[in-house]
Amino acid sequence: MRRLAEWQLALPLALAFAAIFLAPLLLLVGVSFFNDDKITQPGLAQWAKFYGDPFSYKVIADTMLLGVKTVCATILIGYPLALVYLGASPRLQKVLIFIIVMPLLLSVVVRTFAWIVVLGREGVVNQLLLSLGIVSEPLKLLQTELGLVISLTQIEMPLMLLPLISVMSRLDPNLRDASAALGASRWRTLFTVIVPLSMPGLVAGCLLVFASSTTAFISQTVIGGVRLIYLPLLIWQQSLVVFNWPFAAVVSISLLVSVLTVVSALSWLGRRSGGYVHG
Amino acid sequence: MFSRRTLLTGAAALGGASLLPSLAHAKGSVIAATYPGSWEEAYRTVVTPQLKKAYDVDLELQPLYAVDQIAKVRAARGAPPFDAFVLDPGPRITGIEGGLFKKFDAKKISNAPNLPDGMIDEWGICVGAQVVGIGYNPKKLPKPKGWKDLLSDPWVSRLGITGFQTTFGTVSLIEIAKAFGGSETNVEPAFVELKKVLPKIAAVGNPAAMAGLLQQGQCDITYTNIQTVAILKSRGVDIEFVKPDSGAVAFFTTMHIAKGSADAENAYKYFDTVVSKAVGDVLSKPPHNFIPVNKQVVLPPSLPMTSLDEMSTYIRHDWSKINPLRAAWIEKFNKEMAK
Repeated sequence: MRRLAEWQLALPLALAFAAIFLAPLLLLVGVSFFNDDKITQPGLAQWAKFYGDPFSYKVIADTMLLGVKTVCATILIGYPLALVYLGASPRLQKVLIFIIVMPLLLSVVVRTFAWIVVLGREGVVNQLLLSLGIVSEPLKLLQTELGLVISLTQIEMPLMLLPLISVMSRLDPNLRDASAALGASRWRTLFTVIVPLSMPGLVAGCLLVFASSTTAFISQTVIGGVRLIYLPLLIWQQSLVVFNWPFAAVVSISLLVSVLTVVSALSWLGRRSGGYVHG
Repeated sequence: MFSRRTLLTGAAALGGASLLPSLAHAKGSVIAATYPGSWEEAYRTVVTPQLKKAYDVDLELQPLYAVDQIAKVRAARGAPPFDAFVLDPGPRITGIEGGLFKKFDAKKISNAPNLPDGMIDEWGICVGAQVVGIGYNPKKLPKPKGWKDLLSDPWVSRLGITGFQTTFGTVSLIEIAKAFGGSETNVEPAFVELKKVLPKIAAVGNPAAMAGLLQQGQCDITYTNIQTVAILKSRGVDIEFVKPDSGAVAFFTTMHIAKGSADAENAYKYFDTVVSKAVGDVLSKPPHNFIPVNKQVVLPPSLPMTSLDEMSTYIRHDWSKINPLRAAWIEKFNKEMAK
């Protein structure tokens, strides 16, 4: 009886999810099985068009690769930053958490346009490099994948750091002391104690950064330009410019499935590492 | 439970609250889509107060590009999120074909006699003209002569281009194609020539990012419309507008009533205000530089034409031919330009 009551408690949320998430998703799948943009002739033509074109595979691969590169960059910079946070005094921790959360307080459009100012031909980075005599011609940073990964790394950093810090700050400090007392070097303690124990936070961060960077339409098109083509740009073009909604639906489902595949693999990894840590 | 006094107070408060909106909107309101940026700014500062003054109607603006307006109304299926569209020729045809507009009644426009012939048809009203040409930084580059110059040195290495998503992008690429032997329906020469110089081109950007890229010196020359140049200039950017030697491109901007609109009457009042002399007089001057349709407005020297009759000397395009080809052009642009 009590179990039934608990189940009933979840019902409003389940219904809301069904109405605002599941129903549009089913509609999206339904629309993709129409041949024409007027959505009158059922068929598989749009699927055949997308998956019969080698260009589509390149776009899918590029989108996933962008996510992987951004995840790697956020780990490389974010993990040491999380370690600094752990070792900091409570007062410094407050300052650091403010700095970490700050990008989230700004609109993504503002953050993205700020990166144009930083990475542009006459931007801060190029002016610094030119004035120091490191380069003689301005570097092309905007509209390159490198520039895009740099800006996405900053834009997505809070999504990596917040779960990482939340898991790492729960680690027992005695474990580090125990490791040191047993003769392990700092590096060995890091890789055999801290990294494995922080794995659930790291995996959660990777998951969020990956899903967010592969779908970051504004940053991808404004900083990357339109020579770097990712799935969100194709969806926007097909749904809002060409008005071919069935084709846009096919691309959207492809993006959803590709991201979900990687995200599922990551969460499987997270569960496995959780088992390893606690088991 | 309730004393007579509290009940009365509550009733008075409720009654007062119900009166408030009707006081604020004595003659109602109208929701109009407008282009983001220069249009939104001009309409908010000039048209909104004029509509209130002339008809006591409140104007709510929704900044949306033409294609976004069509997409939103199509998705809303009969319950449009706004009453009035503002569209370029391509999306206008898409709207007519999609049955998104209410039939237009010219009799409801008191300014109709002041407009040139053909400015009102069964689907909407023409409210202005846009001119597309080349915008360049005169401090960094010599003045280009025409479309061909864009793809040669020294301009090409400072060139920023956009694709077929926008009207100005589409007509400019058509004109580049024409300069190399193409036509309104054959843009292949533009692709061939662009591909040759692609590594040199400074930026291939999203239309929404172009103003920022010009401002930051990422590129110093691009095809654009005269309003964008005017607004950038008013913000201190070094930019000048050039009419290409083969002629600048012009197209009309039209307004339409969304089918299913609950405030169609107010929409007519809004259109009437937009094409009025009072609004035209202000919007045709800097920093707005809008080309008005009202014949009573004296066109200031800052505009590229001295009278609307000159529209016939500008290059025009047949969007009923362009629209069916555009999807394929967009796909081709993606593939040819992709890194």
